[in-house]
Amino acid sequence: MQKLLQRFLFAILVASVVGACTDNKEYETSYCALVDISGTYAGEKKNVVNIIKAGIVPEMLPGDTLFFVKIDSNSYSEENLVTKLTLDYRPTKANSQKLAISKILDKFAKGNARSRLTDISGALMLCSDYLKSTKSGTQVMFVFSDMKEELPSGVVRKFAADEFEGMDIAAMNVIKLHKDSANPEVYRKRLKNWEKRITGAGARSWNTLLDPTKIQDFINDVK
Amino acid sequence: MPTILYTSIDTIYKEPTMESFYLMPDMPGVSIAIWVVSSMIFLFFAREPMHKMIQALSDATAGGLRKMAMWTQKTAQAMNEKDRKVLLESGMAKIQGEILQEFHKIDTANTKTLTGYPKLQLKLDENISQLERDYKECGQITPEAPGWSEVIESIARVQGSSGDRIIEKMLSEIHKSAMAGEKKALSEFRDVAAKRHKILGSMAPIWKRVEKIGKDVSKQVDRVIENSRNMENYMDQYEKIARGEPQSIDLLSSKVTKLFIISSIVIFIGLIGAFVNFNLIALPMSELVPAGVRVAGLAVSEISALVIVALELVLGIFLFEAMGVTHTFPQIANMTRGKRKIILYGSLFGLLFLSLVEASLAILREHLAEAKTLLDISLAGGVANIAESVTGNITVIGQATLGFVLPWILAVIAIPLEMFIEASQHAFARIYTIFITLLCHIANAIAYLIEGFFKILIHVFDIYIIVPLQIYNMFKGKPISAS
Repeated sequence: MQKLLQRFLFAILVASVVGACTDNKEYETSYCALVDISGTYAGEKKNVVNIIKAGIVPEMLPGDTLFFVKIDSNSYSEENLVTKLTLDYRPTKANSQKLAISKILDKFAKGNARSRLTDISGALMLCSDYLKSTKSGTQVMFVFSDMKEELPSGVVRKFAADEFEGMDIAAMNVIKLHKDSANPEVYRKRLKNWEKRITGAGARSWNTLLDPTKIQDFINDVK
Repeated sequence: MPTILYTSIDTIYKEPTMESFYLMPDMPGVSIAIWVVSSMIFLFFAREPMHKMIQALSDATAGGLRKMAMWTQKTAQAMNEKDRKVLLESGMAKIQGEILQEFHKIDTANTKTLTGYPKLQLKLDENISQLERDYKECGQITPEAPGWSEVIESIARVQGSSGDRIIEKMLSEIHKSAMAGEKKALSEFRDVAAKRHKILGSMAPIWKRVEKIGKDVSKQVDRVIENSRNMENYMDQYEKIARGEPQSIDLLSSKVTKLFIISSIVIFIGLIGAFVNFNLIALPMSELVPAGVRVAGLAVSEISALVIVALELVLGIFLFEAMGVTHTFPQIANMTRGKRKIILYGSLFGLLFLSLVEASLAILREHLAEAKTLLDISLAGGVANIAESVTGNITVIGQATLGFVLPWILAVIAIPLEMFIEASQHAFARIYTIFITLLCHIANAIAYLIEGFFKILIHVFDIYIIVPLQIYNMFKGKPISAS
């Protein structure tokens, strides 16, 4: 009986030691930045890249991942993934990786890529797939767009109930269109609709960040 | 049909109203009066079992609490007694240690004195012999007896009184030769006196030496007397503790509590130091131990940093143990001098190695921080300014120094740690006793309140049935007040 008890206690001890060892994933953060290259927002590319470089990349810690996705006429495609980065656990290597991605982003900003229509939902779904694949503890999306969706005919975008489960999504640098300036209600209604759609698809939070300097606070809040 | 079913269910589960209890619904006053009178009569007959029931309830609740209070009181007393014994034992052991130390001091002093004693004796003998010799020499050189002046004066008086020329001449010659003899005798006397002074003068340093030896001996004796006095004090304390006097227990308790508080403060400060140390090396450790696994929420690099900090503390414990400053491990204390030396040098070397590792990690940390700052500036589109090299160097030197010094400071925690472990037993026993005594008082207070409540309940019950009770007493011939 005593031996049995000893074995049982030993098993509990081993289980607790093994249980204490966990994967780093749940402490890591995955970011997905979606950049609109359609219509008037195409001119914002440089500004957006600067915001990402100055606001998101410095906040990334070793082990964190960043997906950079462009929003065009049909965004739910692997081709829309401009670049992807997972930081090494060594700080020096992570620094050089950050420098490398900054060059890729600069190259993207200088490019002439432009699209006629805006498939925001497709890009969001693509990002969702990528973020889920990382299994990170915190998953964040930054949408750089005017949030006006224009889908090509025949393209269907319907979010699943758990499409954005556990994700924090923020719309950033949302520029106002002519119609928005004429009637702010249009702009507000558009954002309200997005909030409804995204939170309805299981997102943990929906935010609209007007000030790029608030990115750091936002990231700290969601972590 | 469903309607009927609904109606019947509704009737069954209708809320009971006051009216439904009226025996005569037309006369509610009479109905209430009948209820009151019948309940009085019923309760009067059920008085004894009701009293017993209330008493049983009181016993079950308040009694249970009283029992709990008694148990806690006994536990507190037992804990106090145990603590008292532990205090006495530790106090006696400590004083025994101090007495032993004092004995050791006396032994060392005596050994030292006795080792030097033959030499001292020899020196003293030599000096005394020298003095003796000098004294004898002084005695051997005897000066000529004076008396020449009287002879010369007598001859001078006789001169010129005889009237004989030949005699006068003879006397004059005698006077001259006497004068010459006196001069010679005086000169010889002076020479001898000078010699004696010289001998006496050479005795002065010997006297001084003898005096110094005497003072040395006096100092040693004073020290032995002081040690004896200390021993006497310790013996007094020992006797007091052995008798288990309350004052000595209070004194021991106060000493141990003071020790506990001081050691806790020092350990707390040490822990802050450990935290600073940990933060200093955690970031650069991620460069050396990069891994994607966490244990209990901590990254492997952070655990490695913690291990280094813990190792410094452990090495500190071994270092002071081997030096004989602390006595946490009796195995180390009982080791031979050679083995303890090995542990001492091993710990010293280990601490030095860890200090150097920490210093280099601190430098690496500064470089990493600088690289990150430059990267952030570059990402923000700015131009990195590397002209602040002087400030940078000062920071690097400061961090490296901190990295080198902190392990040694952490190692010193071993001393208050031992004090803390020693004192914590008494402190925790005191806290436990206070807590349990408080629990005892609370349980007693609640029990008192519950007993009071049930007593009042019995009185209220008796007041309710006062009419039938008094009628019964009248029939029994008891006074009205005796209910």
